[in-house]
Amino acid sequence: MCVGRNGRARRVIILHSLKSLLGLRAVLVTGKGGVGKTTVSAALARAAAATGKRVLCTEMYSDAEQGSPLAAALGVPELGDQPVEIAPGIRAAVLSPSLGHHKFLRDVLPMKLLGDAAMRSAAIRRFFSAAPTFPEMGVLYRLLDLVRDKRRDGTFEHELIIVDLPATGHALALAQIPESLLKVIPTGAVADAVREGLAFLRDPEQTGAVVVTLPENLPVSEAIELTHAIHTHQIPLAHVFVNRVPYDPFGPGERELLARVLDGKPPVLGARSLDRIDRARDALARLTREVRAPLSVVQDVWLEGPRLAEEVASLFSMERFA
Amino acid sequence: MSSRPPDTSPKLVEDASFLADLVRDKRVIVCCGAGGVGKTTTAAAIGLAAAAQGRRTLVLTIDPARRLAEAMGLSESARVPTPVPRERLTPVGVPESGELHAWMLAPEVVFESMVRRLTTDEERVQEILDNRLYQHLSKVVAGMQEYTAAEALYGLSTDGRYDLVVLDTPPSRNALEFLEAPRKLSLFLDERVVGVFMPRGGAFWRTASELIDSVFTRAFGEGFYGELQSFLRAFSGMFGGMRAHADAVRQLLTSADASFVLVTSPEPVALAEAEYFHGRIAHMGLPFGGYVLNRSWAYTRGFASPEDIDLGPGAPIEEVGALLKLRQLADAERWRARRDRDLLAKLRMEGGTGAALATPHLGGAVEDLAGLAELARNLVRFDGA
Repeated sequence: MCVGRNGRARRVIILHSLKSLLGLRAVLVTGKGGVGKTTVSAALARAAAATGKRVLCTEMYSDAEQGSPLAAALGVPELGDQPVEIAPGIRAAVLSPSLGHHKFLRDVLPMKLLGDAAMRSAAIRRFFSAAPTFPEMGVLYRLLDLVRDKRRDGTFEHELIIVDLPATGHALALAQIPESLLKVIPTGAVADAVREGLAFLRDPEQTGAVVVTLPENLPVSEAIELTHAIHTHQIPLAHVFVNRVPYDPFGPGERELLARVLDGKPPVLGARSLDRIDRARDALARLTREVRAPLSVVQDVWLEGPRLAEEVASLFSMERFA
Repeated sequence: MSSRPPDTSPKLVEDASFLADLVRDKRVIVCCGAGGVGKTTTAAAIGLAAAAQGRRTLVLTIDPARRLAEAMGLSESARVPTPVPRERLTPVGVPESGELHAWMLAPEVVFESMVRRLTTDEERVQEILDNRLYQHLSKVVAGMQEYTAAEALYGLSTDGRYDLVVLDTPPSRNALEFLEAPRKLSLFLDERVVGVFMPRGGAFWRTASELIDSVFTRAFGEGFYGELQSFLRAFSGMFGGMRAHADAVRQLLTSADASFVLVTSPEPVALAEAEYFHGRIAHMGLPFGGYVLNRSWAYTRGFASPEDIDLGPGAPIEEVGALLKLRQLADAERWRARRDRDLLAKLRMEGGTGAALATPHLGGAVEDLAGLAELARNLVRFDGA
């Protein structure tokens, strides 16, 4: 395999089995903006479905006007509040805060009727949708609801739920909401629900965080900080994906030979790619040293949208037979 | 011997880019774009370019990379903007009259200064600051970054301390939300909603209030409803002021004193986002400055071709092999350069302002003030060297 004339490089190298990751109930995919979180989320959903699992792929917000990046990666026009089958074994949905609020009120209020009446009250609805952090709590409750959902035969409706989280800063802010909220409201039904949600998010048998990053100095530094922050919130770190790793065509000793040939000459085309390969090598070495979680490397693939996710997923799945 | 003529790719932009005018004339420059395109770095470089023109400049940022924060002397806990020390500005060409300040927006700090500005009574200020609900809302960042950005922009662009404020928008999927944020928050704090939670007479209101009380007590436990009422009561005097700020920010941002710059990389996802933003900016009637194409490979001037390297007769086969591989990499770079130059031409046409410019593909990331200065020079005067 090589870098062709058109700059395409296609191949994914899997350094670590994904089996344990796909065995969880919820996988939370996070990372800095623009690193390929959504591609990894969609690819994981496809890979899990290929092993026969019933997968639900979700995101937190959807803006109808802007379109959903997850929908684009899954190759569908848009996502709705209710899970819809988009491919065999794969459903997709937006984690709707208002469905979470509604379910919550139905669960805590003595009568279903009262819960419905409460949601019909414009003031309560507005309070829940506009009060900061309440939409996020609704999302958490909705996630728990989907996790618990069972079929008639007693098996889970969605065996694996993948959550494509927003970019790092926002995701970390989300992670601190439950604890902060417990300080404001230590008792009551909301507090109980928050505690239950936290217990689920912190159970390594059920939940795993996935960090996606790029093989460059700063993104790797930020990914390492992110793993520390995830640790602080006691959410189990399940996997790290390094995306867009440039293909390295050079054998042992060849880089040194080339350095000697180029020494003292003016800057040459191709040298920036060489630098990029070197930086990727250093970044991967540092990540391997400093993060104690399974690591997978995804090579630079010049594809986009659903084709990219399919390509990455097909290579995840091939690993099963390797 | 030379196998191909030197690179004669067209000059990318005129000597002075659209940004040269912006950094000289505008009072507010807002940088928008997808995450991971170098938005924060670009905002910092624009700030430095303005300081180099002798202007007193402030860069407002949300979530800078640590090295960039260090380069600019940013501290996470700073309660006021921090100036970059004079002795560090002189070596990068900032004249005596120019200043560069930076501030990482901390929601609780911005909130507190807003409370102080809108509430004259110190007792009232303390009542608000001590409220547990207030403390929760002001510290938890989710959803608050947008509001904070708008509020800080209002305070800082009106106090006359700075000639130019450069705003790095939050890394949210809809970064222009910060324009809507004050309106959204005032929806929540609307008198009509708040009124429902306040004690009031009449049988209808008593029934409604009992329902709400029972819902809240069941959901949040005893005592929360009272806390909420006192929070809303304390805040209710501030609504008018908050709405006035929101209107003032909107007025400033739609005026000729402001300019919106879209930062993008050649990645399809980033481009799609930039296109979306461009539509939104036009739709909202905001002044569009132009595109900054970042992380592009368009810049190939001054690079020699590896095909021109002559190893001479009898060169070891390993060297020949390694050089062949370098040529493949060079080919890939040429392909990317062509792609990015086409893209640049397209962005210029779409922008309608004829304003798009490329920054060279810098090795890695900008990690110090000198690197930032180099980027700033490229941004305002792409001399094609």
